[in-house]
Amino acid sequence: MRRRSPFARRDSLEIKMTPMIDVVFLLLIFFVWTASFQVVEYLLPSELSTLLGNQAAVDVPPPEADFEDVVVRIHWIGDHPGWTVNDQQADSLEQLYQQLQAIARIKLDAPVILHPDQEVPLGDVINVFDISRLIGFEKIQFVAGDVL
Amino acid sequence: MKVPSHLKGSGVDFNMTPMIDVVFLLIIFFLVSSHLAKQEVHMNLPLPDARSGIQAGNSKLPRVVVNISSEGALRMAGRQLTLDQFQQQLLERRRKSGKDLEVRIRSDRGVPYRNISPIMQRCAEAGIWNVTFAVYRTGEGS
Repeated sequence: MRRRSPFARRDSLEIKMTPMIDVVFLLLIFFVWTASFQVVEYLLPSELSTLLGNQAAVDVPPPEADFEDVVVRIHWIGDHPGWTVNDQQADSLEQLYQQLQAIARIKLDAPVILHPDQEVPLGDVINVFDISRLIGFEKIQFVAGDVL
Repeated sequence: MKVPSHLKGSGVDFNMTPMIDVVFLLIIFFLVSSHLAKQEVHMNLPLPDARSGIQAGNSKLPRVVVNISSEGALRMAGRQLTLDQFQQQLLERRRKSGKDLEVRIRSDRGVPYRNISPIMQRCAEAGIWNVTFAVYRTGEGS
């Protein structure tokens, strides 16, 4: 008769579920918590140095429109923005885009100066800034100060 | 005396599973709490949308993050500041960090430009040229 080995216990092949469930739950909790549900932020870099780089330049009044600079005024009319590019009115963002694109075809390195009214929400200022960057203008400056 | 058979050979043996469980729990707790602490750095703001935004890299350059709420209140490092206090802090940071200091403006998209432009002016006065706006990629923001 064959003797049974003392190591070959009857329950050796039984899978213990409890530790496995423990580990699975732990992993689940870990991944759920570490998953980032935040919306990723991006950056729009703007360099102030060219216009307002030092103390002396700060007091310079906002530049007037001329043939060298592209001055984009952003007005706030009631509850919506309005735009003028070197005194030429643009009725929509699309039209503004076309006007700026036409300028960019002639002179891409022309400095674009954004001059928003005080009431204009930042979202609308950023829209124009974004358009200028998408067109490819190299210098985009803001008119800034306590009193515009 | 007769010793019960089930006690034989199991004297020093102790069960590792609960200890590993507890250690894992502690590790996860500290990982999660540090993750949440990092998230708290960012104030929840509806940032402006833009298509030309660039990915914020993990640059080691010194950075100042300015949060501007929908009421136009200026917050830096969790504290509400006036413009003059902001200027003082900025000059102090500029002195410590040098000209590579970056100022990141995180502002509610509805804040009027009159609240933003003095901040940019103060940055220019402090000799900080690297001012960035935090935005959401169009369509991704809340």
